[in-house]
Amino acid sequence: MSTNLKWPLGAENPPESSGESEAELRLADIPLRQVVELVRIDLPSDQLEPLLERGVLPGCRLCPVRRSPSGDPIVDVDGSVLALRREMAGCLCVRLSEALED
Amino acid sequence: MVPANDCHTLETPSQAPSATASPVPLVALVGPPNSGKSTLFNQLTGLRQKVANYPGVTVEKHMGRVRLSDGAELDLVDLPGVNGFSARTLDERVTRDVLEGRAPGLRSPDAVILIADVTRFEQQLMLCEPILELGIPTLLVLNMADELERRGGDIDETVLADELGVDVVRAAVRSGRGVEQVYDFLTEVQRRGPLPEHSCPAVSNVPKGVVLPTVDVFRRRREQVHAIGLKAGFVPAGPSGFSDRLDSILLHRVWGPLVFLGVVVLVFQAIFTWATPLMDGVQAVISMTGTWIGSFLPQSWFRSLLIDGVFSGVGSVVVFLPQILILFLFLGILEDSGYMARAAVIADRMMYRVGLQGRAFLPLLSGYACAVPAILSARTVEDERDRLATIFVTPFMTCSARLPVYALLIAAFIPDRPLLGPIVGLRSATLMGLYALGTAAAIVTAFLLKRTLLRGEPSAFVMELPPYRIPSPRSLALRLYDRSKVFLRRAGRVIFAVTVLLWVLTQVPRQDGHAPPIENSVLGEAGHLIEPVIRPVGFNWKVGIGLISSLAAREVIVGTLGTIHGVQDAGQGSLQLQQALKKDLDVGGAVALLIFFVFALQCTSTLAVMRRETASWRWPALQFTYMLVLAYAGAFLANWLI
Repeated sequence: MSTNLKWPLGAENPPESSGESEAELRLADIPLRQVVELVRIDLPSDQLEPLLERGVLPGCRLCPVRRSPSGDPIVDVDGSVLALRREMAGCLCVRLSEALED
Repeated sequence: MVPANDCHTLETPSQAPSATASPVPLVALVGPPNSGKSTLFNQLTGLRQKVANYPGVTVEKHMGRVRLSDGAELDLVDLPGVNGFSARTLDERVTRDVLEGRAPGLRSPDAVILIADVTRFEQQLMLCEPILELGIPTLLVLNMADELERRGGDIDETVLADELGVDVVRAAVRSGRGVEQVYDFLTEVQRRGPLPEHSCPAVSNVPKGVVLPTVDVFRRRREQVHAIGLKAGFVPAGPSGFSDRLDSILLHRVWGPLVFLGVVVLVFQAIFTWATPLMDGVQAVISMTGTWIGSFLPQSWFRSLLIDGVFSGVGSVVVFLPQILILFLFLGILEDSGYMARAAVIADRMMYRVGLQGRAFLPLLSGYACAVPAILSARTVEDERDRLATIFVTPFMTCSARLPVYALLIAAFIPDRPLLGPIVGLRSATLMGLYALGTAAAIVTAFLLKRTLLRGEPSAFVMELPPYRIPSPRSLALRLYDRSKVFLRRAGRVIFAVTVLLWVLTQVPRQDGHAPPIENSVLGEAGHLIEPVIRPVGFNWKVGIGLISSLAAREVIVGTLGTIHGVQDAGQGSLQLQQALKKDLDVGGAVALLIFFVFALQCTSTLAVMRRETASWRWPALQFTYMLVLAYAGAFLANWLI
């Protein structure tokens, strides 16, 4: 498991001087078939559970597989296929994974 | 994770089986949605299922009796499919209550079967830790093992059993593989007998005594499951090519919505083209049988009670079965094949705009058959506010009971003229318009609700797309049986009771030992009483009587109007009745009556189910009033304009 994980504590943001040099990537920005790793979920804690229960956890591998007819992403999460609203995909902070596409 | 513990396996029972006649052991069946749980439940219980009601709790337990090879029996309770044990959703709360032994009327489970889809092992096994903390004998069923093997995956279940400290079975329940081992487990449970009453530890997403941000807990569990998976030699399945290819069509930007539309149209075709003639047929058989039975009895109040009360009551329930069955068959196929999840995704964006969500699609569609099972199935909507909004607007969906009323009034008052060439006539256009009006009312109401009473943050919508699977006919048949039972028990009993009650109201006060003419009966007096109120809408006291009777169950108005006009065998197709109605209503009044039926909540069963699902009378009362006001206003407008 990778080590550099941040806690999704809702409105709290990591301090500016955390030293992270990568730009903030959101799942909504990721092109299809690109594998990424979940870094953080920017949602209030009472909205986290539907995601957590289905395996969307910091450290999991995400890969957008297609878009629904209305443009919302369909994502492969460690083998499960989940449909998310694009607003929610905008709350998922990710980083490019070294792993190759499935 | 809890270390290997004798309590979970059955090799060394820690207490002797009870010597005295003991209650039947109870086993709980738990698992995530789409894990094959229902299939296993059906395999084990077959037709020996019942849906039990518990007073004061908005819960129905799916119970079944399992008969073991030695003739002994035990009870199996099929808990809702859950992904976790938070208090967030109704399904998860219910599951917790049952597992912790706090569900009224159910003993604490003596054993638990946890079933998971092994192709999604790491995700689905997250339920394991809270289950193990119960400390009761546990069986882990790794279902869909055939799919895992076919896609190149593997797992060593003996190592897994050691790691977790429970019995583990590799299974493919649909084809029967592994079911025998489940029976073995159950036989052992039965032999040990029920556990002594024990207080079960709380089941939750957060382990006892630990207060951590939830993410931490989930991450830790996931890491543990991952580690266990590695030790057990878990090889994940390769991607499912078939589902992926099918999704590229069914979720395609253009083809996706087209197929979706096609499916919706198909479902409605099923109502009109197929169900209606069947309903007419059933109606005819019922009337003929009634007349035949009546010919054996002399004229008396008993004969009247039997034919016009009881028989008519049963008939008015049975006549809906064709439509209910056809519709639920379609919906069952869509659900079991996995397409329904895709339909929910396609519908979600539209529904989100009006304050609902994609998961509400199936319940609302079911409402076109009957609101009662539809409201119950709204439990799959996880967000509480979304669920309430869904329940509130479900009665606007044009249910089966409205059809006979529509058919009667349209046949009597709308001329049979073509509207759009030979394809669409004025009559079918009116019918479609009524359906559309109901749907529009639902949309607007949901929108308003979410802006006012149910205002709040938008809900999280995460929809799992299970792999496509061919529905098993046996599962479909059992589910159909189950849903029809819900309809018959809930709606059926009420409709029957109401029909008999109304019959009674037409029989009193007695005149010279005979039934009074209807206008002098209690019901008739009530009709006269409300006449001033309904005059502005175009209705007279006779229609008033019909309206009052229909407040309890919609379709009853057809029979009531028949009785008022002395029409024998009054059904929607009765020409005699249609002629008689023309004396009571003009076209404006008829349309007003139609509009009234589009909007008004005229179903005691719906009110009862709403009360159970919302745990108070506030919501049903609000809904009834809102819909009544809307109905009156709409009818007034229609009568005024036409």
